[in-house]
Amino acid sequence: MAQREKKVILQMKNIVKYYDTLAANDNINLTLHQGEILAVIGENGAGKTTLMKILYGLEHPTSGEILLNGQPVHLKNAAQAISCGIGMVQQHFMLFDPFTVAENVVYGREPKKGLFFDVKAANDRIAELSRQYELPLNPTDKIQGMPVGLRQRVEILKVLYQNADIIIFDEPTAVLTPQEVHELLKTMKQLSVAGKSIIIITHKLNEVMEVADRAMVMRMGKHIADVNIEDTSVEELSFMMVGRQLIDKNIESLAAGEDVLRVENLTLAGNGLLPVIDHLSLHVAKGEIVGIAGVSGNGQSELVRCLFGLQKADSGTITVCGKNIFNRSVRNVRDAGVAMIPEDRYIWGSAREATIAETAVMGHYRSPQLSRNGVLYTKKIRGFAQELVDEFGVKTDNIQYKTGSLSGGNAQKLIAAREIRQNTPLLIACEPTRGVDIGAMEFIHDRIVEKRSAGDAVLLISSELTEIMKLSDRIYVMYDGRINGEFTRETVTEEQLGFLMMGGKKQ
Amino acid sequence: MNIDANYLAVVFNSTIRMTTPILFVALGSALCNRVFIFNIGLEGMMLTGSFAAIVANYYTHSVLISILAAMIASMLIAWVAGIFMVKFKGAMLVVGVSINTLMGGLTTFLMQLIFDVKGAYVSTDLVGLPKINVDFFGESSILRTMFGSLTWLDLFAFVMAVVLYFHLFRTVTGFRMRSVGINKPAAESLGIKADRIQIATVVFSGLLSGLGGCLLSMGGVTMFAQNMTAGRGFIAMAAGTLGAANPLGVVVSSSFFGFAQSMANMLQNSSISSQLTMAIPYFATVVALAMFNYAKIRGSKQKEKQ
Repeated sequence: MAQREKKVILQMKNIVKYYDTLAANDNINLTLHQGEILAVIGENGAGKTTLMKILYGLEHPTSGEILLNGQPVHLKNAAQAISCGIGMVQQHFMLFDPFTVAENVVYGREPKKGLFFDVKAANDRIAELSRQYELPLNPTDKIQGMPVGLRQRVEILKVLYQNADIIIFDEPTAVLTPQEVHELLKTMKQLSVAGKSIIIITHKLNEVMEVADRAMVMRMGKHIADVNIEDTSVEELSFMMVGRQLIDKNIESLAAGEDVLRVENLTLAGNGLLPVIDHLSLHVAKGEIVGIAGVSGNGQSELVRCLFGLQKADSGTITVCGKNIFNRSVRNVRDAGVAMIPEDRYIWGSAREATIAETAVMGHYRSPQLSRNGVLYTKKIRGFAQELVDEFGVKTDNIQYKTGSLSGGNAQKLIAAREIRQNTPLLIACEPTRGVDIGAMEFIHDRIVEKRSAGDAVLLISSELTEIMKLSDRIYVMYDGRINGEFTRETVTEEQLGFLMMGGKKQ
Repeated sequence: MNIDANYLAVVFNSTIRMTTPILFVALGSALCNRVFIFNIGLEGMMLTGSFAAIVANYYTHSVLISILAAMIASMLIAWVAGIFMVKFKGAMLVVGVSINTLMGGLTTFLMQLIFDVKGAYVSTDLVGLPKINVDFFGESSILRTMFGSLTWLDLFAFVMAVVLYFHLFRTVTGFRMRSVGINKPAAESLGIKADRIQIATVVFSGLLSGLGGCLLSMGGVTMFAQNMTAGRGFIAMAAGTLGAANPLGVVVSSSFFGFAQSMANMLQNSSISSQLTMAIPYFATVVALAMFNYAKIRGSKQKEKQ
């Protein structure tokens, strides 16, 4: 594509942004042409989000300037950015569940008829927009109960309704199923054909290769490179992002030993007509990573909660190393030899207000090295926490800071470190690398594989197909609370997995 | 006691008069619910309105100024409460309880200071709210009994409910108010000044409470008594919840409590001990809330099953 001849729509020149003494953006230059899809890539903390916040008026640069169509602009807030034609599809959707699609889209710029809110005009306008940009949506549907992919579509319509020419997508595929990702990438291409210029922030390089025209790589606040997608590869991009070569390791299967976890006919009725978990049986052996693939909401979360004692199941058996743990308390389950990296690091995994040291010691504090008769050995606890932080490379100045001060990826590393160091025969890892950059992801993956190679068992639940396929020795597909198919590392293909995840039957 | 048409008409009339002070405050409570503010200070704001109306009445003998004074005084208190709850993120329960305690004490204290009486202040100099003329119904008409001795402010309460209904569900500002209650961060991210909307709503609920309080102290007998709201602000909160924070629903729930109050008054003349009859409105509140929540839990369970 001959972008050189295309009109430059946006230029960010020599952008510098300091937080105290930390340079989040150090002399960044960004150029965007009309109708172009630019990927801004980099690890967590590379400064991509800061740069986009500056562009969207949410942060103000320490120095540097922004040129829109050649004219310098000062963006004081988001409203101003929007009126300049810059729109952002937020990573965390900002929607009102009880309202309709149209109400959500026109929010803030509602059409009026006299004193009243003209709902009909809103519906018509949204129907028209949805036709024009081929984003099928019914304006009068409520957001409540909509799948994530459709919700995102509403967010995109919102930006289009604001007449944005430049659309920023912030980690848009993090929460989507493979099918939804496919749809989204198609939408992006359509939008760029329609003349919109797109910036996508991501660290998923396959998607970058598929959809972007150009990529801008950032690392530690610095501008590393601008590359045309035609002239590059995933390997080169990841090298530039991380600053070192990531080795694509082949994980050898081990001869599986005896079963550590056995689940038979587990059933959880739930509140609805259909059971949430329906006569589910699975097993995980020593020296084996077993992955559970599935579109989220098919009972995975409930399965983990039942396994871990957080929720009472209705019937079935669960044993760990021969011990019955069915409907036992969490402490019983942990004592039987189970550790868990929970799916949500803040709801289940840590307390934001607790210090990093306190978060690190959760679940460990009862060991005789760290406490006796209910009195904590503070000094030893700090030593222990420091060890975890050092070993897993959690970036923090002081372990006495609050857990909430860690970035999401670092909090995740801390929790993973804590649970892996439990040295239990079974580790349940739920979304162990959610929102973590590729460097940290590789690190956590290595630790999990290490644990398996030491002869322990790992049950991996992830909505990230590549993660499941990379790590798992065996894969179960979960659909509607049932196991809808089983693969080994050798027999799996992405197409088949996707097919079974959507409820298809194995051939 | 024989129940005939005339008796029912008297009950009807008394129910309306008992309903409207609660209705004003309940509308305020419903609006606060809509913007996710738990305004427990309505009781104190209502009391402020009752008191301010009588004070203004005492000095000016003007009905209009009394009503204005009630509105303004309650709005000021509400504004302080709003600032503490929204701007300084104080615990809503604590702020509300403080307002109630403060105004309970302050009105009692000021009553002694200004009127030099304890317990209650009544005077023939005070001017009550003008009554609606019902002469056109004819001399002995039952309608005359039903709608007699009501004030324009009573009528206005119902008008207000309808106006607020349209405001909340048909206008842009109402739409934005509801949105703040549903997802405040989202509203803010879309450039809506959510804090301002919340504070404005609390202030407006103060205005309504002031009107309710004014109606209480100047509607029937024109007087002020120590703690004369006697929990009506709390009953109104229950009415706001029972009415599903919908102004028209609130009319129904407030009428229910007005009816309970009126029954309590009527039964005072019977052989049942007055301590028991006086408890009727409060007992009705508890029962109604329990039934409402039971129905809601069952409803949501059934919805899940579908």
